Amino acid sequence: MASTQHVLLSPAELAYIHASLSLSPPIRPDGRTPTQFRPLVAETDILPGTNGSARICFADGTEAIVGVKAEVERTPGADAVYDPDHAYDTNAGETALEAGQSDWVELSVEIPGVRDDDSGVAFLSAVLSEALLADGAFSARLRINRRFHWKLYLDILLISPPLSYPLPLLSLTTHLALLSTRLPRLKSEGDEDPFFDDDWAAAPHLFPRHDTTTTSRPPITLLVMAAGRNIVFDPSREELAVADVALAVSVVATTAGTGKKGGGRSLRLLSVRTIDPPSRLTPPGVANEANSAYGAKAAGLVAGQGQRQPEARAAEAERVEGVWRAPRGGSKAGVLAALVGKVLEEGGVVDEVLEALEGVDLG
Amino acid sequence: MADRRRINGPPGATAPPIYEDDSNQESSGFKATRTRQPNTIRRMYLKTGVTPSASGSAYLEVEMPGKSGASGLKLSCTVHGPRSLPRSSPFSPHIILSSHVKFAPFATKQRRGYLRDPTERDLGTHLEAALRGAIIADRWPKSGVDIIISVIEGDQDRGTAKNQADDSWEDMNVLSGCITVASAALADAGIDCVDTVAGGVAALVRDGSDNGKTKIVIDPIPSEHDKIEAACCVAYLPSRDEITNLWFKGDLPSKEAGLYQELVEQGILASKQANRVLVECLGETVG
Repeated sequence: MASTQHVLLSPAELAYIHASLSLSPPIRPDGRTPTQFRPLVAETDILPGTNGSARICFADGTEAIVGVKAEVERTPGADAVYDPDHAYDTNAGETALEAGQSDWVELSVEIPGVRDDDSGVAFLSAVLSEALLADGAFSARLRINRRFHWKLYLDILLISPPLSYPLPLLSLTTHLALLSTRLPRLKSEGDEDPFFDDDWAAAPHLFPRHDTTTTSRPPITLLVMAAGRNIVFDPSREELAVADVALAVSVVATTAGTGKKGGGRSLRLLSVRTIDPPSRLTPPGVANEANSAYGAKAAGLVAGQGQRQPEARAAEAERVEGVWRAPRGGSKAGVLAALVGKVLEEGGVVDEVLEALEGVDLG
Repeated sequence: MADRRRINGPPGATAPPIYEDDSNQESSGFKATRTRQPNTIRRMYLKTGVTPSASGSAYLEVEMPGKSGASGLKLSCTVHGPRSLPRSSPFSPHIILSSHVKFAPFATKQRRGYLRDPTERDLGTHLEAALRGAIIADRWPKSGVDIIISVIEGDQDRGTAKNQADDSWEDMNVLSGCITVASAALADAGIDCVDTVAGGVAALVRDGSDNGKTKIVIDPIPSEHDKIEAACCVAYLPSRDEITNLWFKGDLPSKEAGLYQELVEQGILASKQANRVLVECLGETVG
């Protein structure tokens, strides 16, 4: 699984990273501020065979490509022969058809070196599709008329080895790809068979950019973790290895009116999931007082200790400052609330990220 | 990947059953409504030690009140281990947890195949995260434990076939049941935990009968409410006052962050109530 892959760091290194992240202000291994993202290179419309595509490359070398393909599909049930006995069924169906359905979007995630039926990959695609479908507004955009809809295939490919937990990268790339997605302009009217304009230049964007009314954007999912009393955004692999708790938070931003940049943007919380932090699988350190190499008595000689594994002794020992121990138990509700609150903060990281992504040339 | 070893049913060529509404019930304004208090969970039955061949096992049943033809939640969990890892696997200073959640083919309205689908894998990941926080993993280096849950009946009201798209809310109820039953089975297997962990669900619902106002209920049944705005499933350790797994889904404006916290708190309340059943059940086994 991608989040719990083996971290090759010694207990001493883990203790050092955790201690420096718990300082105030925290010192991160790569010198970023707690809310700073890794620098990234982004481009869109790189795949000519798709309706929309994007590529993002993070500074640590992880790189992802997303391609969006759309197909026209018949909406099942809409062609049903009208039957007076079941009049209410059709009525009920109509409201459902207005809204759009979750199976109109198909999302697949591929990560090199990981089997496609791996539960970590299933988890990643569940997080991403949950955010897309949470408010129902996205699938409603795919409706053509009462009988037809677009079926959207989102293929998310990580093309580098998973050096860090790829969730933020995949989410940002998906966001950009959806922003650049264009669907052919509809020429037919009403419920007749759809007929499209063959001029690609006239094709409107799925998410219109210069709208006079409210503009909504595809959701983004951020990874945020807590270490000590500090909250750190976009953790790298080493930082995630010492996380007390890690959360994936999905938000969507709606901008009211044409206003200036960032003005009137309001956020909506779509989903929150705890990520199983790899820190639980890290080996514990042994304090000098308990280490026989430094003059501590051997296990068998200490009365009442019996013959026990050295690792087990290390784990049961008192917590010593500077000696790494994997976190045990969960986290307080207050900590989780603080993490989510920090994401939803006005003028915070989400605004910064969205503004940066708006700056990407959509071709 | 096709499953070629078993005789499977037709691969998706059958039409899903559309049940006719009972016209008498419809005309008399019958609709399943919530009769419980908003802050009480459904009654549940929990028993440990049901599978003799496993090192630990438990069975959980949650009732579906009111309607006939409706099925509640029935879960069976077995724990195999702790046992030594195969020689080929690398050294691990901790116990390796692997959890499998599988719906029986007949557990839900939509037939499930024999291979685990993405939803089941996703639930398995959540369950693993919830349990890993509770288990004292460093007491068993170089060993592994398998937690296998089969969902015999998913929490679905079979009477309502119309709103088929809304079934994803039931996954939260299933997950909270999975956490509770797995915790009981772990205790039955004698695996050291910091505390018993239990799952709880709270939802923000909007009902036509309340003039469209929202309210928070715990342990929701989706078919009893007009619309579920948001829901949250927590796994909670009562004696340490800690959350090991949190899953929130829905659509909440950021101005109402208080509502989110309220949901989590109500989820904790639901989890505490489930935990009481769990502790009582374990007490019976010991005593």
